[in-house]
Amino acid sequence: MKKKKNWNLIIGSLMTGCMILFMLLGLFYTPYDPEAMDASSKLAGISSAHLMGCDNFGRDILSRVLKGSGTTLFVAAGTVAIGTLVGIFIGALTGYYGGILDEVLMRIIDALFAFPSILLALVFISLIGPGKYNVIVALGIAFIPSFSRIVRSQFLYQKNMDYVSSAKLQGASAFRIMFVHILPNTLPVLSSSIMIGFNNAVLAEAGMSYLGIGVQPPDASLGRMLSEAQSYLVTAPGFALFPGLIIILMVLGFSLLAEGISHAGD
Amino acid sequence: MLEIKNLNIEFHDHLVPETVVHDLNLSVEQGEIVGLVGESGSGKSMTALAVAGLLRRHDMKKTGQILFEGQNLLECGRSELRKLQGSEISMIFQEPMTSLNPVRRIGWQVEEALKLHTELGKEERRARALEVLSQVELQDPERVYRAYPHELSGGMRQRVMIAAAIVCRPKLLIADEPTTALDVTIQAQIVRLLQKINRESRVAVLFISHDLSLVRQLCSRVAVMQNGYLVEAGNTEDIFRNPGEEYTRQLIAAIPKIERGGKEGNAT
Repeated sequence: MKKKKNWNLIIGSLMTGCMILFMLLGLFYTPYDPEAMDASSKLAGISSAHLMGCDNFGRDILSRVLKGSGTTLFVAAGTVAIGTLVGIFIGALTGYYGGILDEVLMRIIDALFAFPSILLALVFISLIGPGKYNVIVALGIAFIPSFSRIVRSQFLYQKNMDYVSSAKLQGASAFRIMFVHILPNTLPVLSSSIMIGFNNAVLAEAGMSYLGIGVQPPDASLGRMLSEAQSYLVTAPGFALFPGLIIILMVLGFSLLAEGISHAGD
Repeated sequence: MLEIKNLNIEFHDHLVPETVVHDLNLSVEQGEIVGLVGESGSGKSMTALAVAGLLRRHDMKKTGQILFEGQNLLECGRSELRKLQGSEISMIFQEPMTSLNPVRRIGWQVEEALKLHTELGKEERRARALEVLSQVELQDPERVYRAYPHELSGGMRQRVMIAAAIVCRPKLLIADEPTTALDVTIQAQIVRLLQKINRESRVAVLFISHDLSLVRQLCSRVAVMQNGYLVEAGNTEDIFRNPGEEYTRQLIAAIPKIERGGKEGNAT
């Protein structure tokens, strides 16, 4: 029987690959200085000099999108890293040990879970102030509950498997059983939730920057640019269009990749 | 070497405490194979798990003593127990399909006990793992070493489990119905393999089974359990020839026999 091609995986990884290349390019090369203002080319349209036009301060949009997608990806990666690492730790402990520890930690997680993660991040931001790194911390904390839930349920299921008993019998410590024996078995589930989490983080960062509490000017970020562009939607549509397009491509690429990975695991 | 004295195991996870093992006394000497038989629910697996140190739950009470070379396993701390597990006492389970970690290579899993209990380097561990893999009569140990569990058959996996159990040269191997999930030809091979390992490395085996014909083949002594009580214990041949208890007699009578000429007798 011929295996059906996993188009989700192929297209998803292509798109994600392109976006990562785009971001890497932005780290080393932008056609103009993304923060250099030029009054003469204010809200300039698409031209050979400015491939995506210019914004309300005459800054080159292509340069800012290149730089901004890097910022957005960086924030998303940081957020997911915090959420995943802390989530794995909490999920592993609660799932593996159960008992009082599980009850206490999970009730705290439930309380956090009751708020939408963007609202939770808003609360943290109002406590610690805006800025790129604070956004990572705030969103990271807001992402912990969902990751711990996923990891916990996986550990609850895996800890009763016979291979865990045989690892115990070989004299492995609880720590070793959790992170060396069980954790790799949760990866199929964990990896697709990481991809989905990454997506949510991209959107959350864009949302927070759009609200003006995320990445602060003059730093470029895709959400920040959208927020700045909203007064010029009619006069300079490219200003909002291109950052928006990049967000869509990024999120779509990750979604397809996540879908493709979870099918590849079956 | 192993001495179980007045072992009681009681569960407290229901309203009424439930005793699953009553006042059990059993001993295993170095290098011998002792059978522990009984029907399902007779407490034989519970006894095995208690000896292996896997019954460490808050909702159960255990009294009595399990002495392994003089050390009481019921009272020693977790870290002392861990030092024994895998190096002095090891166990193989009923279900070879799930006893191996699906995402780790066989070599990694066989080496696990070596990593935990010895100071051997990478190459030495690999050499020892290959050695035990060929000791359990796996063809092409190099290939098995690199394989994942799903690439092996049930019989091969049970051999791998045995290899992983004996890799540190333990003194006691607990085999909890190791052949139940396998088909009959493989069963016989595994039993022969256990016999060979017992002979070669003088490891004592506590063989738990409900299959009396296997026990008769393999064990020098046998203990019979019913409803948590030890009904009868002694030399295997003595018990099979002159069962002292009604329950033992019934168990022996339940062994299916191949009768010669049965076909003609039935065709009437």
